[in-house]
Amino acid sequence: MYEVVWPKSARGVGRLRRAPRLETLAGKRIAFLWDYLFRGEELFPVIEKELKHRFNGIEFVGYDAFGNLHGPDERALIAALPDALSRHRIDAVISGNGC
Amino acid sequence: MLRASVAAEAVGVPTVSLVCEGFQRQAAATARGFGFDGLALAVLQGHVDAQSYDEMITLLVTNTIDALVAGLTEHVDDLVDAVAEPAAMDVAAVGSIDEINLLFRNRGWSDGLPIVPPTLERVHSFINASGHDPWRMIGPARPSGRDITVWSVAVNGVMAGCRPEDLPVLLALAEAIADPRYGVEHSGNTTGADALIVLNGPVIEDLGFNYGPGAMRDGTPANTTVGRWLRLFLRNVCGFTVDEHDKATFGNSARVVLAEDERALDEIGWTPFACEFGFVAGDDAVTIGRINSGIIVGSVFGSMPHEVIPYLADGLARVTGWDLTHVYGIGQGHYRPLLVISPMIARVFGRAGWSKQDVRDALFDHARIPAWKFEKLIGDWSNLTTGRRTLHDLAGEGLVPPVFGTSDDPNRLVPIVSAPDRFLIAVAGDPNRMNAYVMSHDGPHGDWTSKRIDRSYSADLECRITRPNPTPRTEERE
Repeated sequence: MYEVVWPKSARGVGRLRRAPRLETLAGKRIAFLWDYLFRGEELFPVIEKELKHRFNGIEFVGYDAFGNLHGPDERALIAALPDALSRHRIDAVISGNGC
Repeated sequence: MLRASVAAEAVGVPTVSLVCEGFQRQAAATARGFGFDGLALAVLQGHVDAQSYDEMITLLVTNTIDALVAGLTEHVDDLVDAVAEPAAMDVAAVGSIDEINLLFRNRGWSDGLPIVPPTLERVHSFINASGHDPWRMIGPARPSGRDITVWSVAVNGVMAGCRPEDLPVLLALAEAIADPRYGVEHSGNTTGADALIVLNGPVIEDLGFNYGPGAMRDGTPANTTVGRWLRLFLRNVCGFTVDEHDKATFGNSARVVLAEDERALDEIGWTPFACEFGFVAGDDAVTIGRINSGIIVGSVFGSMPHEVIPYLADGLARVTGWDLTHVYGIGQGHYRPLLVISPMIARVFGRAGWSKQDVRDALFDHARIPAWKFEKLIGDWSNLTTGRRTLHDLAGEGLVPPVFGTSDDPNRLVPIVSAPDRFLIAVAGDPNRMNAYVMSHDGPHGDWTSKRIDRSYSADLECRITRPNPTPRTEERE
């Protein structure tokens, strides 16, 4: 008989709580973050139009403000993201596309 | 894009992530690897690349907009109780060899082939031989968020059938996996590229790696088991299983380690492959890179370099398609295809006094495709926005090297890499054959990364193997 150990290893990351959700999107500034793939340039304008139709005063900051977050500069841009979100006074993020 | 969402959530900005259907589990697992359970997702039904514009927008408005709003406004209790997992030295299962193998297969802990049962005694012996501290942290495993430790390397080494003397090679590979420059977190992307290990140094002869006939065929224990270890480690520690992070549409079997024929290199005065990455001849080093696809260039004819180069250049051009996105676009200049030539082809160059750089320069001149084809591959035929401009325009804006934009003639020939030194060359295989193997690579999503193999006896084992967690919990004990 063999007594064997587990082939995985412990999770070294602590468990984190999500950011608090918003009461409403009305009057909020939303950032689009994009990996420059999977037709985001066609999807994001429609999302913006639909949400503007539903929520008064909602504003958007386009993906160009944050760069290609899946490209050669991914690590640097993601490291800089907290500052960028703060600089643009972002209340919430819509991020895409994982396909 | 989950990595961007994680960065925002970590600073208190709520996110919702758009994912195509079928990516929910991978997205959830990626977030979990950063410590977040239950990040908000909004699912795009089907796959946008297979939909007409009208179909895609109708599905977005009908099915996804509500989920976007909910993801940003609805509270979910995300700190659900974690599932207890075994500690490293817990006995996770007890059984006969057949029972252990069945359990490991059923749990997704093996590659489907029989494994050597990783008993405590075997793992101890595996580590003791080189004196390493089993609990030394090598780095975090992405995307799972698990720890890469000497112990976890050794357990999977035992399972793969490696020998204790292989451990230094495995540890160097583990360091490469932990290096952010490699980009191991991309190892489950849908293209299904798999890593190739290239080995250099006296370790090749000392540990009996095959670099001769059938260099990439399974059968030589050292090459085969170390290659198998990588797949097991990606599965068990990094989390690349189909229920978590592996979204490979096809994928490959484990790749056998490619060891270079350093005797042939010495003979013609060429430096080993690892010297491209800062090592010198005589260093023990291991290099990994993710390979999209490969083509055999068989029966090359010629006794002079100018006769041989066209075959090799043609092979490199043929193996390079969507990979061009890594010339610019996703990963400018990261595309580094690999050319493996047999010693006999290498001697053709050596006899003529050609250096590796001479070969690279010639490949840069000859491994070319029409500009219109390059632009189609990365523009019309892709979803890469940057590729929708012409190479001539991009060169004018300084976004690609000038050689790509020497004119606006769509029929002009442009190189497949951004500079000659982007070609990588290795020498291996049957010394009496004129064959080559060309491989495309996945740019920053598995970029070539080298690490030194330290075979000296470690001073670590001043420490003794002791149970790291005084209150272990078992999940799988049977």
